[in-house]
Amino acid sequence: MASTENKDRIAEDVLALDVAHLTRKFGVRKALDDVTFQLEQHRFLSIFGPNGAGKTTLLRILATLTAPSQGSDVTVLGFDVVKDAFALREHIGLISHNPLLYPDLTAEENLRFFAQLYGITGADARIDELLDAVELTHRKLDIVRTFSRGMTQRLSLARTLLPRPELIFLDEPYSGLDPHASDILDALIDGIRDKHTFVMVSHDLERGLELCSHALILARGKVVLFEDKETLDSDLFRATYRETVGLGVS
Amino acid sequence: MSKQLKIAIILMVIGALLTTLAFFMAFYTARVQGFGTVVSDQPLDTAFALAPPSMQPTDGIAYERPWLSQKIFYFHVPVAEASFLIFTIAAIFALLFLLRKDKKYDTRSRIAMETAFVFVVATMITGVLWTRASWGVWWDWEPRLTTYFIMMILMIAYFVVRNSVGDEERAATYGAVFCLIAWVDAPLSFIITRLIPSNHPVVFQSGMDTTNLIPFIIAQIGMLMIGYAIYVLRVTEESMHERIELLKERLEA
Amino acid sequence: MSEKRNISSFDQFRAILHKDIVMELRTKEMLTSMGLYALLVLIIYYVALSQAGSAFEVERIAGGLLLLAIVFTSMLGLNRSLVHEKDQGCLEALLLSPVDRPVIFFGKAVGNLIFLILVQILIVPLFYFIFMSGSQVQSGPWWMLALALLVGSIGIAGVGTFLATMSVNTTGTDFILAIMFIPLVFPLLLVVVAALTAVITADAGYTQVYWTMLAAAAGYDVIMIAVAFALYEFIIGA
Repeated sequence: MASTENKDRIAEDVLALDVAHLTRKFGVRKALDDVTFQLEQHRFLSIFGPNGAGKTTLLRILATLTAPSQGSDVTVLGFDVVKDAFALREHIGLISHNPLLYPDLTAEENLRFFAQLYGITGADARIDELLDAVELTHRKLDIVRTFSRGMTQRLSLARTLLPRPELIFLDEPYSGLDPHASDILDALIDGIRDKHTFVMVSHDLERGLELCSHALILARGKVVLFEDKETLDSDLFRATYRETVGLGVS
Repeated sequence: MSKQLKIAIILMVIGALLTTLAFFMAFYTARVQGFGTVVSDQPLDTAFALAPPSMQPTDGIAYERPWLSQKIFYFHVPVAEASFLIFTIAAIFALLFLLRKDKKYDTRSRIAMETAFVFVVATMITGVLWTRASWGVWWDWEPRLTTYFIMMILMIAYFVVRNSVGDEERAATYGAVFCLIAWVDAPLSFIITRLIPSNHPVVFQSGMDTTNLIPFIIAQIGMLMIGYAIYVLRVTEESMHERIELLKERLEA
Repeated sequence: MSEKRNISSFDQFRAILHKDIVMELRTKEMLTSMGLYALLVLIIYYVALSQAGSAFEVERIAGGLLLLAIVFTSMLGLNRSLVHEKDQGCLEALLLSPVDRPVIFFGKAVGNLIFLILVQILIVPLFYFIFMSGSQVQSGPWWMLALALLVGSIGIAGVGTFLATMSVNTTGTDFILAIMFIPLVFPLLLVVVAALTAVITADAGYTQVYWTMLAAAAGYDVIMIAVAFALYEFIIGA
C-alpha cells in the first residue's frame, strides 16, 4: 500500500461527479432510485429535499462511505466509488455538522493525526498555515473540548483542507452555528470555491441557493430537479421545493 | 397459495407422522437394551457406552430408566443433527449476504437461524431429560454439552444484536457477521466428542443394531421435513410481509 | 506547493495508536475506571470467599478468579475506546481517509491491549497480596503466569475490539458487548484458566499441561484475529 509520490493532480476536463443510474436499495425499500446527473469541477452543488429523501445516502455514496447497489455507475473525479475508493479518498474531504475532531486532543494534535493518516510528510508548515487561515493560531496548543462551536467548526474546516482535497462534501455544515461562525465559514468557502468543487446537503434553502452554482432536489430517492443556477427559475424552484418538502411531511 | 407452501404443509404433516411412527417403532420393534447405571452384565446397545464409574452417583440411588434413555434417543439425536445442519445453512446464507448485499439472503439466513434455534431448544430439553435418566444429573459440564450450550447462547446473542440495531441493513450485516463467527462453534460441538474423552455417547462410531437404525433414520427424515417446512412457512410469511410493505410504499407515492 | 505523500499502513497504524495513548494519558479515563472497577471486583471476591473457611485451597481457584476480574474489567475499557471514535463522528473522518480498514482494527486493538496490560500490572500484584500471600504452595515461575495472561489478553483485546465496533452502534452498548463477548471468548477463558492454574498450583508435570493449554490459547488468538481481520471491513462500513 505504500506509495511515495505527490498526489496525482486531477485533470481539468474530468467530471467532478458522473452519476449514472445510481440506485441504493435494501429489499423493496429504495433509498435512491435511478439517480443520474453530471457536475463539472469547480462548481457548487446544493442538494435539497425533505427528510428521508436520500440526501445523506447520496452524499455518503459519493464520499465512499456507503456502497451503491449493483447496476449503479458512480464516478467521482474520475474514480469509481467502489473500485477506486482507496485512491479517491485522497481527493475528497467532508465538513459535517459533527466536528469529526477528537475533543481530548489539541488543535495541533488533531491536525497532525490526520496529516499522518494521509501520509503528509513535513506537515508542520501546512498546519501553521491552515491554523492561520482559520484564525486559530493562538489556540494551537489548546484542547478542542474547550473550543466554542464556531471555533470547532473552523478547525474542522482546517482538518478538511489539510490533505488539499479537490472535492469537499458539506453535510449540514451550518447546523448549530451562530450567525458569526456561519459568516466565517461562508467567507472561508468563498475564498476557495474557484479551485474546489463543493457538494452540500442542507435544509437551509436560502443559504444553499445563494452559495450554489447548481441545485438538485431529491424526493423519495428520485431527482425531481437538477438545474444550473444561471437558468434556474427561482419561483419554479421554490414551488417545487415546497411541494417535495410537503410530500415528506405527509 | 404457492406450490412451495403446499409442499411445506404436506411435509410438515408427513414429518410429524414419521417422527411419531419412529417413536412407536422404538417401543415395539427396536431391541431394548440396558442403559444408564444398570448392571453391566445386561446386553448393552453398542451405540451407547455406559457412564464411567466416576460419573455414577455415589449416594446409592440407582438410576435405571432404560425406557427413557432408549426412547429419547430417537428424538434427541435427529433433532440435534437437524439443528447443526440448519445452522450451517444459515451461515451459508449469511456469507452469501455479505458477498452480494441482497436482502433476500439476509432474510433466509435469519429464518434459518430461527428454525435452528427451535431445534436447539428441543435438543436441550430432551438432552437434559436424557442426562438425568442416564447420568443421574440434570446437567454436566462435559465437552459436548458445554459447546452446545455456548452455541445456544450465541444464537440468542444473534437475535439480541439484530434487534438492538436501528438501521435495517446494518442489523443485517452485523447479524451475518456474527452468524459466521458463531457458526464456528457448530462443527466444534459436533466433533468434540470424537476428539476429547467425553461421557456423551458418540452415535455411529460403534455401529447400531438394524432394528434400532430403522426408526432412527425414519425419525431423522421426519425431523428434516419438519425443519424444512418451518423454514418455508416462515420465508413465505416474510415475503408476504415484504409485499405488503411494497404496496404501502406504492400507496404513499 | 504540494507536500510529499507517503501513505504507509504502518505509519497510519502508529498514528492511530499514538493518538489513543496521548488521549488516554491526558484524560486517564479508561485506566482509572478499569483500575477502580478491578478493585471493586477484588472486594466482591473477598465477600464471596469470606465464609469459605481455611479448609479450601485458594490456589485451585485463583487462576479463574484472576481471569474473571480481567474479563469484566476489559469489557469496560473496550466499549469506551470505540465510544471515543463514535462520539464526535471521528470514525467517519477516519473512514474517509485513505486507511485500509484492518489498519483501524489493529490500531484500536493494540491500544486496548496496552491499556489492558497496564491494568493487569496493577491488579495482579494486588490480587496476590490479598488472596495468595498466605499460601504455602510453591508456584511456577512468574514469567509463565505473565505469558499466559498476555496470550489471554491478546485474544480478549482482539475479539473485544471487533465486537465493540458492532456494539457501539447498538442500543444498550454494554449489555450487547457482554452477550456477544462472553460466549465467544469462552474457549479462550477455559484454556487460559487451565494454564494459570497449572502454574499457580505447580503440580507434578505442570509444564506439560501449561504448554498444551497455552498452545490452544495461541491457536484461538490466531484464528479469531484472522476472522476479525477478514470481517472488519463489513462491520466498520455498515
